[in-house]
Parts: sequence; C-alpha cells; structure tokens
Amino acid sequence: MKSRERFTAVFNNTLPDDRLPAIEWASWWWDRTIMEWQKQGLPDTLGFHDVAPYLKLDQHYQFWFPHRRSDCPQPAFNGGPIAEDEEEYEKILPYLYPLEEAEAHIEVMKTLKAGHDNGDYPVWFSLDGGFWFPRTILGIENHLYSFYDQPELYHRMLDDLADFQLKLLEKMYAVITPDFMTFGEDMSYNNGPMISEDSFDEFLLPYYEKIVPYIKAHGTKVIVDTDGDVSKMIPWLMRAGIEGVLPLERQAGVDVVALRELYPKFIFIGAFDKMTMRRGVDDMRGEFERLLPVMKTGGFIPSCDHQTPPDVPLERYRIYVEMLKEYAEKAVKG
Amino acid sequence: MSILEEISDNLQHGKAKAVKELVQQAVDEGIPPETVLKEGMLPGMNIIGEKFKNNEVYVPEVLVAARAMNMGAQVLKPYLEKAGVKAVGKVCLGTVQGDLHDIGKNLVKMMLEGKGLEVIDLGVDVSPDTFVNTAVEQNCQIICCSALLTTTMGVMGEVVKKAEEAGIRDKVKIMIGGAPVSQAFCDQIGADCYTPDAASCADAAVQFCLAMQ
Ligand code: B12
Repeated sequence: MKSRERFTAVFNNTLPDDRLPAIEWASWWWDRTIMEWQKQGLPDTLGFHDVAPYLKLDQHYQFWFPHRRSDCPQPAFNGGPIAEDEEEYEKILPYLYPLEEAEAHIEVMKTLKAGHDNGDYPVWFSLDGGFWFPRTILGIENHLYSFYDQPELYHRMLDDLADFQLKLLEKMYAVITPDFMTFGEDMSYNNGPMISEDSFDEFLLPYYEKIVPYIKAHGTKVIVDTDGDVSKMIPWLMRAGIEGVLPLERQAGVDVVALRELYPKFIFIGAFDKMTMRRGVDDMRGEFERLLPVMKTGGFIPSCDHQTPPDVPLERYRIYVEMLKEYAEKAVKG
Repeated sequence: MSILEEISDNLQHGKAKAVKELVQQAVDEGIPPETVLKEGMLPGMNIIGEKFKNNEVYVPEVLVAARAMNMGAQVLKPYLEKAGVKAVGKVCLGTVQGDLHDIGKNLVKMMLEGKGLEVIDLGVDVSPDTFVNTAVEQNCQIICCSALLTTTMGVMGEVVKKAEEAGIRDKVKIMIGGAPVSQAFCDQIGADCYTPDAASCADAAVQFCLAMQ
C-alpha cells in the first residue's frame, strides 16, 4: 500500500492492508533534540523535511500557513503582546493576515502535487486557531483576560481571522487537496481545558463554524492540536464539527483507550507517552502494548505525544521507530 | 447580603471596581481591616481556588478574580499596616532556569497572595542562586519553584542543594510544582512539598508559615 493510502484508510476508520502510518506528527522537531542528535551522528545537512525519512519514518508534508507578515513587530519578550487593545490592533493590521506570504506556501505545495496525486505521501496544512492566534497578538496573559475585558475585540479578531483563512483556503484548494489539517490551539493543560465551555461556545464555536464545513466539504479531515488533557473538551470540539485531536498527552492523564470507547469514530493522533522513551526499551514496549487495542480500531495513528525530548538518545529513538513499525504491522495483521 | 458577603461575591465574579468600592465602604463603616480581609476577600479567593481545582471555573475566571482581590488589597493595605496586621508569611517564587512557562506560576502567586502571604515574584528563567539568595536576603520562609519541562525540572534539585550549602535548609521550606512534577520527584530531590494545583499550594504554604511562627 502507498503511504497516502494508509492515511486515508485510517482516517476512514478502517485499517490499511499492510501497516499503520509510522510518523512523528511533530514535524517541527525540538531544536534542542536535533542539536543533541547531531552530536550523536545525525547529519547536520538535513533540511526540515529530511529528518523523518532519514530516521526511516514515513514522509509527510506539513505546511503551517503564516498569519503575520515576516516583518510584523515582535513581542518584547517571549509570550508578550504585539497589540494589547483595539487601537493597537488596528495599527498592526497591515502586518496581519498576509495572503501573499501564504501564497508562497501554496506555490511550494504545487511542487508536491504530483507525488501527492500519485499516493507517495499525505499533505497536511495547519492554521492558527481561534485560541492560539489571539494569544500571539494579545500576549499570553492579556489574552486570558481578554475573554472578559475585550470580548468585542476578540470577536473582531476571529472574524478577521476566518475571513483571511477562507480566502487562503480557496487559493489552496485550487491547487491541492490536503488529506488533513490541524488548528493549532494549545488550549488545554494538565488539569483540562484552560477556558470554560461557555467561553468556548461564545468565542471559538462561531469561528469554527465558519471554517470547518468549508474544509470538510473538500474531504480534508479536521483535527485540533492541543496539548494537555483534552478529554473534557472532545464533546465541545465535536459540536464544532471537529473530527479528531492530537497529541493526547499521556503525562497530562489522557487515556486514549478510554476515549476510544467513548468516541468510536473520532480520529486520534499521538498518545505514545514520550516519557517512556527516556526510561528505556522495556517501558517503550509496554507503552505500545497499551496502545495496541486502539491501533486495531482504525482512526488512530500512534505517535509520540509531543516533540521527542532532547534527553532521548538517537540510538533509543531508532529502536523506537523499529518498534513503532513492528506494532503498526501487528495492529493490522493481528 | 452583608457587605462582607458582597465583597466575596463580587471578587468571585472578577468585579474589581465593585470590590475596591465595597472594601472602602466597609472600612468607612468601621469594620476592622483584618475582618474585611479574613471574612470578605480571603473566603472569596478560597472559593475560586477550590472551583478552579475542580474545573468549575477556568484560568480566565481565576485571573479576573485575583485582579479584583488585588484591587481590594491595595485599598486595604494602609489600614492593615496601621492596625499592625502582618502578612502570614513571605514567599519567593519563580519558574526555574531554562523555562519560560509562567501561566501556572502566576496563578500560584495569585493564590498565595489570596491567602494573605507576601510574594516576591522572581519571574521566569530563575537560577538556583537567585532563589536562595533572595530567600536569605528577604527572610522568606518558603521558596516556590515552578517547572513545566522535563529538561528543566532538575534545576529544582539544585535549588535544594544550594539552600543546604547556604545553611538555610532548616529555615526555609521548598515547594515545587508544574506539569511534569510529581510527589515521587519531590521525594527524590528532597524538596518539602509538591501539590498538583495552585489552590492546594497556597493552603500548604499557609500551614508551613503558621507552623514556623
Ligand atoms: C502554554 C504552553 C506553552 C507556552 C508557554 C507560555 C507561557 N508564558 O507560559 C509556549 C508556547 C511559549 C510554550 C513553549 C514551549 N513548550 Co510548552 N506548553 C504549554 C502547555 C500547552 C500549557 C502550560 C500551561 O500554561 N498550563 C496552564 C497552567 C495553569 O498550568 P500549570 O503550569 O501546569 O500550573 C498549574 C500546576 O502545575 C500548579 N503549579 C505550577 N507551578 C507550580 C509551582 C508550585 C510550587 C506548586 C506547588 C504548584 C505549581 O499550579 C498551576 C495551577 O493550578 C503545556 C502542556 C501541559 N500539559 O501543561 C506545554 C508543555 C509544557 N510545553 C512543552 C514544550 C516541549 C515546549 C517547548 C520546548 C516547545 C519548543 N520546542 O519550543 C517550549 C519551551 C520554551 C521554554 N524554554 O520554556 C511540553 C514539555 C514536554 C517535556 N518534555 O517536558 C509540554 C508538556 C507540551 C507537551 N504536550 O508535551 N509552551
């Protein structure tokens, strides 16, 4: 079976003929991990998309569309604001929603079309979501206050965001139809959602309702990317038409086995406890055994539940990849 | 509803302006400042802390409640000082070196303040030396370290060691927390206390301070 067909099978809640996809979903490797691995023999000539095939993982291409122009003013400190209120938002508007820069990504996607049509690899695109994007503009803390302090501004930003994304998607779909997409959100943490269901419904739901049907109409699977314990949010996301989540962070208590029972058709990507990779080979095998019953249900791509941490030696990671493939086959062949 | 209940209620709903005005009104009516604090504001913050722990309110609600608490506290501060009311204890708090995550640390700060503790916020990326030196210089009873990364939680062990080297280990309690931190890790590095959430952290901190008084 070709790589892309495997993804399609899983996304349709069936099983591929030969094995599940074997990917590291986090295409953006942790820079410190790459630095450590380079000391351990990873060639430093590998480009962004070259690391996965070098490590014998399946190739997949992720495109995260830019939402700010590259010359947009930067926050003064990590997580700081670029614009704190409506007036400042208006000032930086010329730097936001850069259709031209997004089109440059679409040009690159064009070059992948032949291989994609051919089934060689899946293509995946990502958008800043309705929680993530305002956070990058308002700053981490001010963003959390803004649900109460500046609800009109929040709504306005999400209207603008949705307009921009719909325009760019129209251009993208004229060129290529990706297999799946993610809304980058990170709106949950160890103790569950960061915001209430009421806030979700008031702010995020109308935003998703504008975009999600359009994406689904093209057959692209719609997934939300949120760390931490997403369990409680899944019904909220389902109401918004979302079809899956990643990365199902184990350390935060996510139990994908229990979630599969509750949601038989929801797409799951991730769930492999990255902490077992630090502890050793036996723990990694135990973790695959935990996941195996869910792997057999379709609709689940096992993968590290966030970026592989820098303290996992390259040699151990290679063993992880071998094991991932072993179980990816076992899931299908029984 | 009594004015103290009104303070608590408005605080829980993040109504900073109302809290400020009600606190002033309560003092003007002759209610002792300590009573306003202990029977108006602190119970309000307690309820929010508990609700947050149980996922009945979420991060934004805690932030706006804590801001209301702060506004009220500013009005109350001069009256408390005049009446000779002291803070329950002093804490220095920060996110450890190499780590920039601070949402949790900031919530811990607010809960500690909400319990009447004085907090010195060292910010993020804080070295073990800074934690320990601040505790020495400022006479803190507690050091609170937050870490969100497995790659930085080890720094907490160094804080414990530095406190031993500085000879203050028996005078200061070291509390730790953050997503990857656990009771087992706390035992392993010899810290004094781990709690999974900010409200329990503040409860434990008050207990430590009372025991040390
Ligand atoms: C938001 C977030 C970010 C934001 C942080 C913004 C900010 N200013 O804080 C941004 C986007 C900047 C970020 C960056 C990174 N992040 Co991050 N991030 C998160 C996320 C999604 C939520 C953290 C959060 O804000 N939680 C909300 C607060 C309220 O919860 P909390 O911090 O846990 O605090 C509560 C308790 O823990 C406790 N508590 C907290 N401190 C203390 C202290 C004491 C003394 C006590 C008693 C209690 C206590 O009380 C709080 C409230 O009840 C977590 C996922 C997760 N599971 O937590 C990942 C996560 C922590 N990040 C992770 C990673 C890998 C990173 C990056 C390295 C990514 C990268 N490659 O660049 C960088 C690191 C940057 C750096 N040097 O610090 C990983 C860490 C994995 C690991 N190996 O450890 C996590 C776990 C994601 C994952 N799925 O794996 N991140």
